[in-house]
Amino acid sequence: MVELAARKHVQFILSKAKEKNSYESVLMEHIRMNGHTGCQHDSGGFGGNIGHDPHILYTLSAVQVLALFNKVDVLDVEKVANYVAGLQNEDGSFSGDMWGEVDTRFSYIAICCLALLHHLDKINVEKAVDYILSCKNHDGGFGCTPGGESHAGQIFCCVGALAITGSLHRIDKDLLGWWLCERQVKSGGLNGRPEKLPDVCYSWWVLSSLIMIDRVHWIDKEKLVKFILDCQDIENGGISDRPDDACDAYHTYFGVAGLSLLEYPGVKPIDPAYALPVDVVNRIILGIKA
Amino acid sequence: MDEEANAGGLLSQFEQILESDPAIDEIGFVHPSQFVNLNEQARHSVPSSSGSVCNVLCSAEGNTMFWNRDHKLGISTEVLIPLYREAKHALMAANRTGIESEIMNHSRAALLISSDFGTAWHSRKIVLLKKHKLSTFLEELIFSVLVLSYAPKCEHAWSHRRWVIKSIAGKCSTLQEIVTKESELVEKIAERSKMNYRAWYHRCWLVSYMTTEQSLHELKRSRKWAGLHVADHSCFHYRRQLMLSILEDRCCKQENVSSSYSVKINQLWKEELDWDEMLIKRYIGREALWLHRRFLSLFWIKHFLTGHTGLPSHWKHKTSMNNDFGIFVDHELNLLQSCSIIPDNNFDDYQAQATYSATYMLWLIKQIPDSSGFEFREKLRTENLKALLNKACSEMSSTWDSLVAYAETSDHYAKES
Repeated sequence: MVELAARKHVQFILSKAKEKNSYESVLMEHIRMNGHTGCQHDSGGFGGNIGHDPHILYTLSAVQVLALFNKVDVLDVEKVANYVAGLQNEDGSFSGDMWGEVDTRFSYIAICCLALLHHLDKINVEKAVDYILSCKNHDGGFGCTPGGESHAGQIFCCVGALAITGSLHRIDKDLLGWWLCERQVKSGGLNGRPEKLPDVCYSWWVLSSLIMIDRVHWIDKEKLVKFILDCQDIENGGISDRPDDACDAYHTYFGVAGLSLLEYPGVKPIDPAYALPVDVVNRIILGIKA
Repeated sequence: MDEEANAGGLLSQFEQILESDPAIDEIGFVHPSQFVNLNEQARHSVPSSSGSVCNVLCSAEGNTMFWNRDHKLGISTEVLIPLYREAKHALMAANRTGIESEIMNHSRAALLISSDFGTAWHSRKIVLLKKHKLSTFLEELIFSVLVLSYAPKCEHAWSHRRWVIKSIAGKCSTLQEIVTKESELVEKIAERSKMNYRAWYHRCWLVSYMTTEQSLHELKRSRKWAGLHVADHSCFHYRRQLMLSILEDRCCKQENVSSSYSVKINQLWKEELDWDEMLIKRYIGREALWLHRRFLSLFWIKHFLTGHTGLPSHWKHKTSMNNDFGIFVDHELNLLQSCSIIPDNNFDDYQAQATYSATYMLWLIKQIPDSSGFEFREKLRTENLKALLNKACSEMSSTWDSLVAYAETSDHYAKES
């Protein structure tokens, strides 16, 4: 089996950070966070870049990045937490911003963000959990809103939010585990929905969910490791969605994160609910110093 | 080419094209090398019925920048970056001055280049709220179709449509018509953008705005499309949402409803089961069809055995119930039998068919309540299913072990919780 080309991947990510004039990086500038303080608005929320409106998505990204570097204290934590808490609706759901689109992804983001800031007390956690449970389908999976089709990305968000709030006992783990383990295809890779091709990013969304509900032994882990390693560009670094496709930062992150969950040697352990290194989560949530 | 010097005119040229041809219904980004082919084709083809000519706008160096024919606009990939930058700066300036026409023009230009530019969508919403005119809201539905023409998965565009519909619901007499048109739009986009989760989510969202008659009509209308796209799981999910909404409507709104309604639902479910079986036999090894069957059977069983679907309570007391249940079970067993034959030449499709039929049976075992499931389990031994699964797809033996073990435990969930 090929090995993880760790050093190449580091170089690949560094080279991506330097590309500021490529077509992708200009048109994606709304999600290229740079200079944190410049991205924060009076509301307490963060925009994706200077001059862009605030959204709960970028607010979590800002908090996560600061958490990684142990710099959360540069924030006016109270203000950020108030912005996030202010997006909760009467039924317990969360809007992404002031324009009101509701999605269980925003529930996860709010809960994860507030947990990292030690401010879960600012929202109605019980209602937030009830809303997530109302998005459960007959197949055990979860969608964006009640009745939305099950999707591995949405499932990660719902299971992650339930894990952080200590509510996993309220779902049928076997039924959900069934749906999740059927995402593994013959090649060993995981897809995100029925009939779709496997994609490295689901090594995160599906795998982390299986771990959180303690059903990871329902899939073949060895074959998944092999699938992820086969998606590497050994020469130039980077990981792609499927073998022999073009690499990008997104799939490189999820490939490495997936290998971490699979306990691949030499990769730091990652927390399946917070999507942050375990030592960072221990430091912030449990107050344990490394 | 000096980008900055040229950029000054780019935005106004682009906005002028959009202004001069309001009927543009499709946008695409074209690599310079492809313009040669486009021009070649344009020269040889007969002018279209509308008599439209091909409008080409070139830079000072003679490179094609915009290409417009039959209301299809091609934009050179070479001008995208300077054009986007210029549009963004112009929009930010307009947001500061608050001049509405400029905000609308520049945000339109920016979004036709970068559909995920959330702030530009928001700028439009602010103007719409200020103007507060039904016609301007409706124009947004046309504009966002143009964005979806080049970015069919754009979340902002779909979410913008929902925001518009929520804003005009209750104030607009043609809401039902709009909902129907939205549904048609999703179908059109789903045709060329396969398994588009965002588009189908939008269609499911529409269900809550539909009357029961509309839901029934949609169910009928989407059947043909589903039959031609059996791998698009989202379409089958949409049908399930329609069926559940019909079921719910009947239960809530007509408390003392005559049994003719109940018979109608019964018939609807039966027809869907038959249709699904027909597709399963015609298109071998399609996961979406088998998953659809899991749903149909789950509700079918619930309705026969426990009445938890909310159907009128007298249904539960039908004397023919057990008999009907027996017929259903035998029918599904026959289906398994016919689908678990793997020809010697070992086609992948047949292996998939056998795998899906076996996991479907495991699903049934799990769903049938213990009291009634005894007979069923007697007829269908899980060890046979396990053998079939391992024969059809030995690669996933660890998964089969887990699923079979789970199906064999009864009331597992009840014990755990």
